Amino acid sequence: MNTLATTAEDHRIALLAALAITIHIAESALPSPLPGIKPGLANIVTIATLCIYGLRTAAWVVMLRVVVGSLLLGTFLSPTFALSFTGALASLIMLGAARLIPGQRLGPVGYSLLAAMAHMAGQFIAAYWLFIPHPALLHLFPILMTAAVLFGLVSGIIVAAMLKHIQ
Amino acid sequence: MKTDLITRADWLVIAAAIALLPWLYSAFWSDNRGVGDEVHIVVDGKELPAISLQQDQTLTIQGSIGPSVVKIADGRVRFLSSPCRGQQCVHSGWHQHNGEFAACLPNRIAMLITGSAARFDTFSY
Repeated sequence: MNTLATTAEDHRIALLAALAITIHIAESALPSPLPGIKPGLANIVTIATLCIYGLRTAAWVVMLRVVVGSLLLGTFLSPTFALSFTGALASLIMLGAARLIPGQRLGPVGYSLLAAMAHMAGQFIAAYWLFIPHPALLHLFPILMTAAVLFGLVSGIIVAAMLKHIQ
Repeated sequence: MKTDLITRADWLVIAAAIALLPWLYSAFWSDNRGVGDEVHIVVDGKELPAISLQQDQTLTIQGSIGPSVVKIADGRVRFLSSPCRGQQCVHSGWHQHNGEFAACLPNRIAMLITGSAARFDTFSY
């Protein structure tokens, strides 16, 4: 029974990760107005997974997306991958922390917003420390965070609408 | 199971995020370059001895097309007048920050402000 349950979770993770990877790759074809700004629509899959199946499954889906997505795009272990990986890690840590806070429960919009902002901040810190330790880069940070807040809100609202439809 | 689309905690997070943004803009877009100590003036490729910004004075510098007047006061420096046509150097006003740069290209006069802390800009990085 126990092994059966694990297998079901494996299948679920694979299915959700495939969905996230597809969105991730489709999105990489979109032009971006500024390096670092993109809608992050794969976040929708992450947050929906978190709300329905919990953090463990969501963490699997995120990490599989980052690794497999980079393999398919040919950016594995490249600077792009380093940024993507740090961002994903930061957003997972943020989501884990948000789940630990007792009391009021966050909904998809709150989670999505927190994840998007942590993703952007983590990615930015990595970019600053690893690649361009130049003070001028800091001027970009508020703009990038504004984009993160906007896209985090939008994908959060999409998840909320989606979950309402499912339930 | 009926759940709210956006919970109270969500609204809190949204409010915090939106409040954070103006703070980010004020924190990261403010001028924190630091004050400069000296001005280095370069005339036609030759650098004059550094001049302290602490000593108020008005200098007349002979450039390629005529005299430019540079004024130093209150730790700041500016072009007061210039024989050039565009007058961009005069309109650029007072300069006081470490790393700031002003020039009159027609008259081949440039000045760079330096401070105690070494600072990189896009030219020297």
